[in-house]
Order: sequence, then structure tokens, then C-alpha cells
Amino acid sequence: MYTQYKQMNSLIVLSQSDSRPMYLQIMEQVRQKVAVGEWKPGEGIPSIRALAVELQVSVITVKRAYLELEREGIIVTQHGKGSTVARDPDLGPRLYEQEFQEHLRQAARIGMLLGFSEDEIAERLRATAMQLETEAS
Amino acid sequence: MNIAMVKRLIWKDWYLNRAAILFSLIGGMVTLALVASSHGSNIVMILGLIVIVTILIGMGSMVMASAVTERKQQTLPFVMSLPISYVEYTTAKIVGSLLIFLVLWTVMLVDILATILLAPGFPHGLIPFVVIMSVEILMSTCLVTAVAVTTESQGWTVGVAQVGALSLNWIGWWIVRFPDIGGAMRSATVRWSGTATALLSTELAAIALLLAITFFIQARKKDFI
Amino acid sequence: MIDFAVEFSGVTKRYKHFTLDCIDLKLPTGCILGLVGANGAGKSTTLRILMGLVHQDAGTVEVLGHTMPDQQALAKLEIGFLSEDMRLYGAPTLEWHMNFMRSIYPHWDGAYANSLLGRFDLKAKQRIKGMSHGQRVKAALLLALARRPQLLVLDEPTTGLDPIARREVLGELMAVLADEERTVLFSSHNTLDVEQISDQITFIDRGRIVESADKEAFLDRWRRLRLVLPPNTRLPGLPGVVAIGGSSRLPVVTTNRFEPAVVSACTERGVAVQSVDVMTLEEIFIASVESRREGGAL
Repeated sequence: MYTQYKQMNSLIVLSQSDSRPMYLQIMEQVRQKVAVGEWKPGEGIPSIRALAVELQVSVITVKRAYLELEREGIIVTQHGKGSTVARDPDLGPRLYEQEFQEHLRQAARIGMLLGFSEDEIAERLRATAMQLETEAS
Repeated sequence: MNIAMVKRLIWKDWYLNRAAILFSLIGGMVTLALVASSHGSNIVMILGLIVIVTILIGMGSMVMASAVTERKQQTLPFVMSLPISYVEYTTAKIVGSLLIFLVLWTVMLVDILATILLAPGFPHGLIPFVVIMSVEILMSTCLVTAVAVTTESQGWTVGVAQVGALSLNWIGWWIVRFPDIGGAMRSATVRWSGTATALLSTELAAIALLLAITFFIQARKKDFI
Repeated sequence: MIDFAVEFSGVTKRYKHFTLDCIDLKLPTGCILGLVGANGAGKSTTLRILMGLVHQDAGTVEVLGHTMPDQQALAKLEIGFLSEDMRLYGAPTLEWHMNFMRSIYPHWDGAYANSLLGRFDLKAKQRIKGMSHGQRVKAALLLALARRPQLLVLDEPTTGLDPIARREVLGELMAVLADEERTVLFSSHNTLDVEQISDQITFIDRGRIVESADKEAFLDRWRRLRLVLPPNTRLPGLPGVVAIGGSSRLPVVTTNRFEPAVVSACTERGVAVQSVDVMTLEEIFIASVESRREGGAL
């Protein structure tokens, strides 16, 4: 039995309770769309202004997100022509690799802030991976 | 000066006060008709006159107070957000208010004069006195308008309106004392005297001065809100 | 296209109990600026001077290339203004107001006005005095938007609105910016709204501009650091410290010039950094104003 859902025009949905800066949220969602294949390489994506209006978010925030995404090689912005997903066949797997790397950095940084040594951090990571495996089976 | 905008503002005030204008017009004319049909009975004449003057002044004040109302009802920011300068706003308020009043005033004056001239039992010698008093009412109204527009305060405007209405009586009595005026009132023919001319000119000059002062004060204002 | 929709230069206005002191403001075309300040800080005065409704005592004001207040009639032809203390005429209907506007503004877009009626859930034939507060605000906004202004100036546009109305209003404000030649300036003490949609943010307090920068810069530079000091250690000198709270062993440092180097500077000296917290615009505003009022230099 299905309830009737309101068709949302936004392809991207931002969460007010997410404490991360908005530009990071936007970046993550764009990366996911590319990784999943919803936005294909070479395909046009909403212009900065159009996305800003749709999300009700400042232009400058979207601009920043797009700049960072371009730096990561995920999108390409041509002045006056708008933005497109970068043409790169390995984009999908590279994206995941990049996300993994980013999460590792974060974990390591937090561990260091908490005063853990490198060995301790590695040990905790191994323990967590093992626990996940146990839960999955 | 953007005449088109001034006209629109005047139309706006007329539209917003259309009920009051219409009622006053009808009320005044009905009263006059009653007075005219009374065939010169003094009491009815005087009563009728009082009613007319009251309507004129009362309604006049209400409309004049549109300047005060704008501030009271906080529509002034809305009006001033329109593409007008403050001079244009002032012009619209003054001209608009006086125009409404003048229409009624002219109708009243013509009606009174016609009644005196055509209806039986009214000595034509009344005419100079009536004219002078009518312009006196006009002057009083200009004063109320000036006060309303420059002070935008209900207190001041109502105060001046009441003083004006009361002093009308005294001025009336004072004018009648002039032998050229009072003495001529009962005559069957119109006797226009030099005194009458002098009084009339003074009144008109006073009106011009009032308006000039109003514009001057408004032009010097630095805060419109 | 003019570079700056609004330029204030050394604008000063003196009242009996309040002075707007030397206000400098530059709003680029196509930008949306949020003016944040407490009640009585000078937001409304600034906007009134912008509209030519109040003459400044000193300084110059240029709006859309016109000098204010002298050329205000010309400027206001391209400006849509909404203020908190503004009321429409109670007796006439919204339709009457719309027709009145149509007769005045050459750029009046009737189709857009009608679509706004639907989006704002308003009835044209309803008298203004029969509307709720939120409906009146939206009605006034409709009148300002439908004339397709080059500049929208709004004093507290979302104050007193329910969440649905708020979202509708914010949505329409943003829609204005879809055209990159249109500019929006709004004042608010609702920092959530300002944080969400502003490109540029200016703080005003007690008649003075406290800070002005683009939004991302604000959010990037301000951080709250929770530190753990080992016994008998003093807090290291850190850049841009605005306030220090917490206790002597567990200080909480608020800084407006954060960089990652700050963290390493702490850990190097044996000070553990428990967390580096991003601050909301509200927290930034409060910290900024409080430190300034206490005379702290930024």
C-alpha cells in the first residue's frame, strides 16, 4: 500500500538539522548523484543561480560548492555556459576512493585530537571493521 | 513635478473618502433646499446656515485630516515608497483636500446665492456678507489643512479646527459691525462696498500666505517618517 | 549595468537618543545582503535613509545610480520596499491596490502578480483589513515584487510569519535573484534566514557597522575551541580571540580568525583540543556584538 508522496522538484534536498556547512552538504549530494549515475558524465547540471534559487540557499554557497567540486575534478564550469559533470569514465570508483580517503583523514584527525597514537587509531579501525563484519553475518 | 503621480495620489484620497464626500454633498443640498422652501423665515434660515457650515467644516476637517490619518494608520511608508518626492506628496495632499472642499464649497455658495436671489423672502443685501463669510470658512479650512499637513498630528489638527469653527462666530459678529456690511444686509439690492472688497482681499491674501508657508515648511523637513 | 546597487559613504544621522554613525555600505548588483542587528541598532534608519525617507546629516547615498534623497522619485520607480511599520489601506481590496500599482509602475507584471496570488494563497477580492498579519505581509510583498524592481529593500520581511509563510517569502526573495541584475537588501534579527540565503552579511549595533563580509567567510573564520589545559599551564596566545569562557582548566575560546594552524599551535604546547566547533550565525553575531560592546578590539 502506497501513500501519495508530493513530487518534490528539488533533486537535492538539504537538511536543516545537519550541522555541517551547507556547501559541504551540497557537495556530498552532488558527488553521490554522480557516483550513482543519476548525473552522467558530460551531462549539464543546474547553473549556480538556478540551484541556489531552488534550494533557497545563497548563490555564494552554491558557488563555493561548485568551485570545490571543480577542484576535485567532479564537475566542470565554463564561464557563460554553465556547469557539466566532468567526462571521466573512472569517476565512479574514484569518487568512492576519495570519500573513503576523506573519512579516513577525519577519523585519524579526531583520534589525534583525542590523544590516540597511530597504532591505537589503526587498532580501533580494525576492531570496528571486525564488528561490522560480525553484525552483517 | 510629476503631475501624473500627483493626480493619482489625489484620486486615491478622493476614492478613499468617497462616502464622506457624497454624504456631505447630499446633506448640504437637502438642507439648502429646506431653507429655500422656508420663504425667508429667519429662524429656519439661521438654523439651515448653521447646519451647512457645520457640515462643511466637519467634513472639511475629516478630509483635511487625511494627512493625519496617513500617519496614524501607518500608510505613510507605503505612500512614500511610491515613486514620488515629498513635494509631490505635499502638493497632492493640499490640492486634493482643498479641491474636495472647494467643490462642496462652490456648490454651497452657488446654492446659497441662488436661494437668496431666486427664492422669495431673502433680502439681496445679504450677499456681500455671505460671500465674505464663505471665504472666511475657506480660509479656516486652509488653516486646518496647513496644520494637518505640517504637523501630521491629530491633536493639533482637531484643536485648530475647533478654534476655527468657534472663531467663525466671533468673526461673523465682528464683520457685521461694519456699517457698510451690517447696514446693507437688510436692503433689497446688493450693495458692494469698499469695506467688503478690503475684507475679501485680506482673506484671499491670507489664504495665499498660508499655502506658501505650508510648502516652505514641508520643503525644509528632513525626516518624513 | 551598475556595479553597486547601493553605496553608502560616511552616512551619519543624529537623533536625540540615537546616532547612526559613519555608515559605509557597498552592495554589488546581483547580490543579496542581510543586515543583522538587534532592535534599535539602526537597521530601519539605514533603510529609510536608503529610500530617501530620511535625510542623512552627513555622507552620501547612491541607490541604483541615483543620489538620495534628491533623486528619490526616480530611484523608487525601480525599488520595491517593505517595512515592518508599513500598512496598506484597510478598506480597499488587494485588487484595488494591485490596480493602483499597475497604473504607476511601467514594469508591472500582471501574470506574475496572479501567480503570486496563488503561491501566497491570497484572494484579490479580499479587503486588507480582513486579512491576517501574515496575509498582509505577503500582500505587501506581492505588490513590491510584481513591479519587477531592480532592487528589493525589505525591513524584517519574515518577522511574525508562520513557518509556511516564511518559506514562501524566502522562496520568492531567492527567485528574484534568478535574474543576476536584481539585488536584494533585507534586514532581520532572524539569523537563520540571513544565514540561509544571504551572499553578504553586515552586522550593525548601536548605530555602527560592526562587521561586513561574505557569508562563507564569516562561517569559515569563526570557531569555538574547547581546550583542556594541563595543570599550571597558561593559555597560549591565539590569533583573533574574541572571548574566553569556561573554566581555567577547560577554557572555551571563541576566535574570529581560525585556521588549522591554530590547532597544531595548541597541541604543540601540550594543550589538548577537545573539539573545534563551527558557530551558527546567531552565535557569531552575539559574540561579535558582545565583545565590541565590552570594548574588545577585533
